[in-house]
Amino acid sequence: MTRRAPGGAMAAEARLAWRLGRGADRREWWRAALTAAGAASATGIAQTAVALGSLRGQYHVSVGGGLLDRPGERAGVVLTLLLLLVPVLGFLGQCARVGAVHRDRRLAGLRLAGATPAQVRRIAALETGPACLLGSLLATAASAMVLPRLWSAPAPAGWAGLALVALAVPVLGTAVAVLALRRLVASPLGWVRRVRPRGGRGARYAGGLLLVLLSVLAAVCGARGRLPLAVCALVVAVGAGTVWLAGGTARLAGRLVARRARTAAALIAAERLRDDPWAAARTHAAVLLVTVVGTGFVGVRQALLADLHRMRRDHRLGMPMAFYTTGIALAGAAVLVALAITLCGLAVGTAESLADRRRSLAAQIAAGVPRAVLGRALLLETALPLLPAVVLAGAGGMAIGTWYAALTGPGVVVPYAALLVPVLVYGCCLAAAATALPLLRRSARPAELRYA
Amino acid sequence: MSTRHILLGLLEAGPSHGYDLKRRHDERFPQARPLAYGQVYTTLQRLVRDGLAEIEGTDADGGPERTLYRSTGAGARELARWAGEIAPPAPFVANEIFAKVVVSILAGGDPAAYLRAQQDAHKARMRELTAVKTDPGADLATVLSADYALNHLDADLRWMNTTAARLTTLTAEVDTA
Amino acid sequence: MNHRGDTMTDDGGSPAPLLAGRGLVKAHGRTPALRGASIALGAGEILAVTGPSGSGKSTLLHLLAGIVRPDEGSVTYAGQRLDRLPEQRLTELRRTDFGVVFQFGQLIPELTAVDNVGLPLLLAGASRAEARRRAGEWLERFGVRGQEELRPGELSGGQAQRVALARALVTGPEVVFADEPTGALDSLAGEQVMTALARTAREAGTAVLLITHDAQVAAYADREVRLSDGLVLPAEVAA
Repeated sequence: MTRRAPGGAMAAEARLAWRLGRGADRREWWRAALTAAGAASATGIAQTAVALGSLRGQYHVSVGGGLLDRPGERAGVVLTLLLLLVPVLGFLGQCARVGAVHRDRRLAGLRLAGATPAQVRRIAALETGPACLLGSLLATAASAMVLPRLWSAPAPAGWAGLALVALAVPVLGTAVAVLALRRLVASPLGWVRRVRPRGGRGARYAGGLLLVLLSVLAAVCGARGRLPLAVCALVVAVGAGTVWLAGGTARLAGRLVARRARTAAALIAAERLRDDPWAAARTHAAVLLVTVVGTGFVGVRQALLADLHRMRRDHRLGMPMAFYTTGIALAGAAVLVALAITLCGLAVGTAESLADRRRSLAAQIAAGVPRAVLGRALLLETALPLLPAVVLAGAGGMAIGTWYAALTGPGVVVPYAALLVPVLVYGCCLAAAATALPLLRRSARPAELRYA
Repeated sequence: MSTRHILLGLLEAGPSHGYDLKRRHDERFPQARPLAYGQVYTTLQRLVRDGLAEIEGTDADGGPERTLYRSTGAGARELARWAGEIAPPAPFVANEIFAKVVVSILAGGDPAAYLRAQQDAHKARMRELTAVKTDPGADLATVLSADYALNHLDADLRWMNTTAARLTTLTAEVDTA
Repeated sequence: MNHRGDTMTDDGGSPAPLLAGRGLVKAHGRTPALRGASIALGAGEILAVTGPSGSGKSTLLHLLAGIVRPDEGSVTYAGQRLDRLPEQRLTELRRTDFGVVFQFGQLIPELTAVDNVGLPLLLAGASRAEARRRAGEWLERFGVRGQEELRPGELSGGQAQRVALARALVTGPEVVFADEPTGALDSLAGEQVMTALARTAREAGTAVLLITHDAQVAAYADREVRLSDGLVLPAEVAA
């Protein structure tokens, strides 16, 4: 056997990936576009964080109501931005799953044709990498133009940081995509027979461990009196818990409802949850994280504002009131942005689950299952597991808000306004899932029956 | 098909007389051409002559006198040899349908029409056999022997399909030869 | 509705057939699939439609089952024009009067065998327990006992296809549409599926439109028509 130069092999794989991309249908281009958009947001957020982080000491920044001028507040903003990366990365992961089943078959076909796992992994990377790179470059170009106008002289370290982010995001995105395809790469048969690999225990134990560690960290930090860090650690701990919670409630809801379901829609939805509770767990975890943070934020904001008003009455405020309210408004905006990204991920995920099941859905329609039943099943698939999970996440957020209010204010004040947040988030999620319903009409066509 | 070996096989189950053997043959091999009684009788006599079977005795049982036959050791050995021997796979290609097609071309007939009619007849027979085998009362022996015929008819049909599609070329070949 | 009293007729015979397509034309994009095909199915009749791949067999089935509307021509079922019924009524009809069996893929992968079979009953308003009980009876009848709680992916191809058959028959339909029902099976599993279909249809007086390219599968029918170039070739003389 002749061994070709690695460069030649790489070029051949690149050509193959390019041809696969060109021959692909519209869904592949959707995936590329969404991936690029996700990568662009990740890059933008990360670069802003790096740019702010690179500033040393006192600065005058023209935006942000003076909030970005001093290192202490800047650190808070940077942390918020970094937290925003979590839903963005979740969105990127969701994009990698667009067309997953179709891509599974295609890559499995490559394996059957004799490609080694490493080759398939490289080809998959070559399919995702360029899209990430494109998004990252666009965002970098925008940053390079916008950031220098906002303050006088970016440090060389700052520029290096920006470049590093521009490179790191495509690499990270590609790694996520390759990770998502790890099962397939091992087996040339892909998921031709839908027997799901059981397991994922390791990941769940790791999640539990992380949760415990973060809680300990939160307790330690809280005890040492570093309040902001303790709040953050607690938020992350509750968030990590929700990832586990999302899958757990999906499984539980599926089990409970599957046994008692009286209607076809509930039965289909519950059995789908029972079959693969982790399918939507990532997206739902992001929803829960937003719920926790959002509910907590509304509570904290109420307590904080009450505190600030008290301090203003007593003339103890160090800065103008606008300084504090801008900070609070910025944090609120971050929560809203996170919610928007999460809802996008949810809508993409729901649409994707429909698109992957086109043939099966077309067969159900042909057999006389009304579209309305399939539509209700689709909505229930989101509604069932999210209901208990959002209630719990809302309770967690309320606990944070109440705790913070108790720390800062006189006596225990329960921020009841925060109760609206989980309700609103739940409603938005159902609306986001419902955006996929028109697709049901389009994708469940009899024409799908003609292809195996 | 070797009638003598089949009769030897049936005798292995225990001594029996000619009529009984015929009845059991027809039962075991449904859809096959039924054995004539005379053929059973002459075959049994030849088996005795060759030392493969012998007369056990006669039993009257109120009716006409009947001779009971049984297999000998030599008969059992011969049977084992035959049962293990492979049947020669299609030693001669004897294909009546093909002969008719060629003759039809030579005589300036309509081979395509003949093939269509033959295909229809094959399909009708296949439906008949399938009905026999899907009958709820059908036993496995019936199903298996129907399957045997169905597979052969199906092979014929497929051959006729490809032949019908290539009749023009065949006609040119036959006509120039 | 009971059409079982109707006698079997040949194409164009005097008593009205249960299901008839006349002058059916259908194109997929610019590719014509059917170019004026006519076909009639009597009540309780098993009719095989054969023909090479791409001859429009599946399209014919989709038109007759009211899954797709024809570009031209008519589809009449029990006196009503299917091509003119509103979509909702068609869906209902497909659920109550028709059953479909495809080569594969009509079972919901996440539902257990018994829930898959019970689904049409559940949709028709039966209670879950009743649906599961009747579905279980059908599964037992088709020799899928002990596998009721398995999902389609955990069944063998032949078992899954018998489950699909049970789902098509569970509502007691007038017509079962089977599109290459044994296409993905080995010959023994295929024979079990076809025997189950033919026996049940004959017992219950269910008409079957059987699409196949396999002469041995077509032989389960009472009658066979051929599709060629988008046209139904003259019906054969019934055996």
